[in-house]
Amino acid sequence: MSDLNAVTAAEAPGPAANRPRHGGSPAKPRSLAGDAWLDLRASKIFWVAAVLVVVILLMALWPSLFTSADPRACDLADKNAGAADGAPFGFDFQGCNVYARTVYGARDSLIVGLSATVIAGVIGLLVGLAAGYFGGWLDALLSRFVDVVLGVPFLLAAIVLANRLSNGQQDNGVLAVTLTLGLLGWTTSARVMRSAVIAAKGQDYVAAARMLGASPARQMFRHVLPNSIGPFLVVLTLLLGINIASESTLSYLGVGLKGDAISWGTAIAEAGPYVRTVAGPVVWPSVFLAVTVLAFIMLGDAIRDAFDPKLR
Amino acid sequence: MPGKSPWKMAAAAAAIVLLASGCSGSSSDDAEALPNSISIGIVEPTSLIPSNVVETGGSQVLSSLFYPLVRFTDKSVPYAVAAQSITHDASNRVWTIRLKPGFTFSNGEPVTSDNYINAWNYGAYGPNGQLASYFFSRIQGFADLQSEDPDGKDGPLEAPEPKAKTLSGLRKINNTTFTVTLSAGFAGWETVMGYTAFYPLPKAAFESEGVLKKDFGEAPIGNGPFKIKGKWQHDQQVQVEKVADFKGTVPKVNGITWKIYQDLTTQYNDLVAGNLDVETQIPVESLPQASSDLGDRLLKSPSSSFDFVGFPLYDDKYKSPQVRRAISMAINRQEMTEQIFLGSVSPATAFVSPVLQGARKDTCKQNCEYNPVKARQMYNAAGGPREIKITYNADGGHKPWIDAMCNQIKSSLGVNCVGATVPKLTDLLAKVRAHEDVGMYRLAWSMDYPLMENYLGPLYTSDGSSNYGGYKNTTFDSLVRQGSEAATVQQATKLWQNAEDILAQDMPVLPLRFGQNVYGHSERVIDVSMDLFAIVDIYKIDIAS
Amino acid sequence: MFRYIVRRLLQMVLTFFGATFLVYALMFANQDDPYQALAGERPLSESQRAALDAKFHFDDPFLVQYWHYVKGLLTGDLGMSLTQRPISAMLADAWPITIKLALLSVLIAAVIAISAGVLSGVRRGGVFDNVTLVVTLIVLALPIVVLAPLAQVIFGVQLGWFPVTVTRDAGLWDLLLPALVLGTLVIATELRVTRSSVAENMRADYVRTARAKGLTGKRVIGVHVLRNSLIPVITLIGVDIGALMSGAIVTEGVFNIPGVGYNLFRGIRTEDGPLVVGFVSVLVIVFLVINLIVDLLYAALDPRIRYE
Repeated sequence: MSDLNAVTAAEAPGPAANRPRHGGSPAKPRSLAGDAWLDLRASKIFWVAAVLVVVILLMALWPSLFTSADPRACDLADKNAGAADGAPFGFDFQGCNVYARTVYGARDSLIVGLSATVIAGVIGLLVGLAAGYFGGWLDALLSRFVDVVLGVPFLLAAIVLANRLSNGQQDNGVLAVTLTLGLLGWTTSARVMRSAVIAAKGQDYVAAARMLGASPARQMFRHVLPNSIGPFLVVLTLLLGINIASESTLSYLGVGLKGDAISWGTAIAEAGPYVRTVAGPVVWPSVFLAVTVLAFIMLGDAIRDAFDPKLR
Repeated sequence: MPGKSPWKMAAAAAAIVLLASGCSGSSSDDAEALPNSISIGIVEPTSLIPSNVVETGGSQVLSSLFYPLVRFTDKSVPYAVAAQSITHDASNRVWTIRLKPGFTFSNGEPVTSDNYINAWNYGAYGPNGQLASYFFSRIQGFADLQSEDPDGKDGPLEAPEPKAKTLSGLRKINNTTFTVTLSAGFAGWETVMGYTAFYPLPKAAFESEGVLKKDFGEAPIGNGPFKIKGKWQHDQQVQVEKVADFKGTVPKVNGITWKIYQDLTTQYNDLVAGNLDVETQIPVESLPQASSDLGDRLLKSPSSSFDFVGFPLYDDKYKSPQVRRAISMAINRQEMTEQIFLGSVSPATAFVSPVLQGARKDTCKQNCEYNPVKARQMYNAAGGPREIKITYNADGGHKPWIDAMCNQIKSSLGVNCVGATVPKLTDLLAKVRAHEDVGMYRLAWSMDYPLMENYLGPLYTSDGSSNYGGYKNTTFDSLVRQGSEAATVQQATKLWQNAEDILAQDMPVLPLRFGQNVYGHSERVIDVSMDLFAIVDIYKIDIAS
Repeated sequence: MFRYIVRRLLQMVLTFFGATFLVYALMFANQDDPYQALAGERPLSESQRAALDAKFHFDDPFLVQYWHYVKGLLTGDLGMSLTQRPISAMLADAWPITIKLALLSVLIAAVIAISAGVLSGVRRGGVFDNVTLVVTLIVLALPIVVLAPLAQVIFGVQLGWFPVTVTRDAGLWDLLLPALVLGTLVIATELRVTRSSVAENMRADYVRTARAKGLTGKRVIGVHVLRNSLIPVITLIGVDIGALMSGAIVTEGVFNIPGVGYNLFRGIRTEDGPLVVGFVSVLVIVFLVINLIVDLLYAALDPRIRYE
């Protein structure tokens, strides 16, 4: 970190002032990222989360590592049957292997969840940052645009996108669902980002940086952004889970993944009505979904803590 | 503001919410139930004007407000109800209807021939845009009441006014007698007149001649045993109460509340919780619990619905009848109806619903029998496609059985099978009509009138209104037509049976299931029965003593 | 401040037309055969189509249709739904119950989220924090399509604590269960954001100052920490109010509430353009007003924020 921050931190009463770690010698300043990495390596939570994420990613990339069963080989004779060899979670009402379907469901669920979250995150970050930092007419324009997008019903956008984007018979709807969730899901994060920027902008250290002649870009990215990104990141990690789960609502409304696509959301929506007869087909995809979200929440927390100078 | 604590703001917000919620909490008197009345669940009707009703919700409500010309026996034979007699000439073209005297509408107006003629003219007149107008299309002069946009949808010209405003085939003899002349002889006309579209309308319904009052549909006045109490409360309920000294069959209950539900499972939960007396369609998801929840109050009766999968006959891959037969034989209908539908429907091995006069079992013979070995042989010999697609509309809850059907095809034929979705049925029909590559496609039919012809003509004749797959067989066409013009219903049935046998050979569609009414009722009511049109018999139902 | 509000109100007019235009365009793109949706499975005759076109103008080009709508709007006529009901009557029927439901839901969610968020933020990593994390995950991973029917069966049918379905003129108690279910959509995010903001502010210098001044822990947290943590949470709540009004499709369906979500769902399904645009018009106004209030609250919560 620059010396500038070390100076302002002494007087800044606001939250999130930056200060070199361990009172290290000013002659050899370490980078923020370098500091953070040192912190992370020592964090148990980080390692647990990292292992979980790696396992989930492996599952999405090579599901056959985890099961040799075919998730699409279903026989009504096995309907609602209990656990069996190679099918530790039993069978669903179509006679499909719940374990195999849950493992194979990771791929589309993660593609939808992660891409939609990234789309929403990028748009939300840029719009929120610009609107909050520059204010004035740009804020008015962007904020009213947010209001317009908020007014578009989710289902309508989903249907239109599903119709326009379906490219023939092999289409499984992943693109349409991802874009629906991504293009409509950024509004919350944008408004949260904007609010945090507005609050951070008024802090003394930003004024100090401005008076010391920092360029607007430097003020925005080096001072305002790091101090306002907290709530945004929290919203984003949860958005990942919400997106994966929302896919089940879209399936329920008839605009989710199509054809023989397998995903956690579709599985939950399809088995939901039968939950009183047999709970496994609902519970297991939900557990996987919850663990995935937990891993990303822990990862997000660990990384944020590592980057948060006040914890030093 | 800056001085206030956030807690105070929260408290203020809470107070606003409570105020907003509390203010409008007054309940209306409409919600009070009549003594001795019952409640039956329906979906929100699209309309309550008889000639505009094409779905069960509206038909069900109208069945309590109106008294039909004919009703049907369990064997779907018509008998006169509001009519004294219905007679016809030798060629089945001119039908004479005599009304029972002394009947009135619930507003006191006497029911006369004019009420029928005016109502039917209104329903048939094209510019009124009535959804059930096709029921009048057999009456002479129907074409003169229609008009088409001369230069198509996008042209600048508007559709001209039709040539005539009244059907030339309707003629009043006296106050209680009128004749209907059809454009061609039709043995089943008496049966057709049992439908909702043929109810009479009182003078009070019309603003001027041929113009219906704007809000008549909000509180229709009928000639039936019940009259509407207040107005149609959209998305909530329609309440009806007994008419004093009704001349026809008098129902046993004093009133009915038609409760409107968005979701069948919700309706089921309300039934079990005791807030509803009859649910006419118990959803499959609730069936596992239904027998223990309801016991002997869970009932089944035949209905007219027929579910099938159409073959794209315009697609070369499905041109060969061998391929179509093989796919049909690859499917285990019994397993599907038992495991996916939990016995709420029965497997279909014929093309005409078994509830009808003249319908025979197993007309499809070995072509609908599950025989995976022979199916695979035949399929490979005929060179069927290596990938089968079944397209369906995503909004109808069809995925479970399409998936099951695909799984059966996969294991029987050893080919891949996927279910593809389009958002709505109209999208599906549009694609099939445009001869797009949709593979097989799911369809369903339920009858408009209980005649075999209704399962044959519209679906498979070359000019049939619902012949989407493009099936064409001139022998079949002429058999169906001859049947419709036959002098007696018996002769007609024979000809229609021959026509059905042709279908069993050609397999233009793959018959899958015949529906049943699976319904349940509360402990408060007894004698609940449903007819083939999925309508509760409001005359029989009674309150348990 | 006054000028700021006036300016915002002027912006609203433009935004309103922008949003209705966008939604109209989407409905138009989605429209292929609205009449057929009305008639069910049987194809409509040309004559029926001509009659319906004369009434609803669906055969006109898009801009002409939008112009019809704007013209109607300016004369106070919201138009007619495909089901032949005036849209204004449908709005009047649906909005009151939805507003009650959404506000109750937001209130419950906010109270739970903020109090649990503060508690777990103050003692990060404690037992309470971990328990709330697990509960949050369960709420997040059990989508409303499963949760709503399950809650209805357990608390409505089996235990009989709440009514199974809700009518249009339901009271607070009737709406409690649907409101709780609906609230799970937003509670997780609100809770986690509160927690992280509180945790961050607990470490701020002014908290140390306040403690050093000798203020009680309660006062430090209740006044200083909470107030500084509320800005992102208030923002979220603002967005959530609107989202819960339009997004209650599943909840309204399960509890048979004839509200806004149900009408939007029906309108979109049946390609009923006038109906959907009518409801969205009101929805956009709700969003605009709430976001204005939220922006004004920023200034109230943080004196450093000023609107000129």
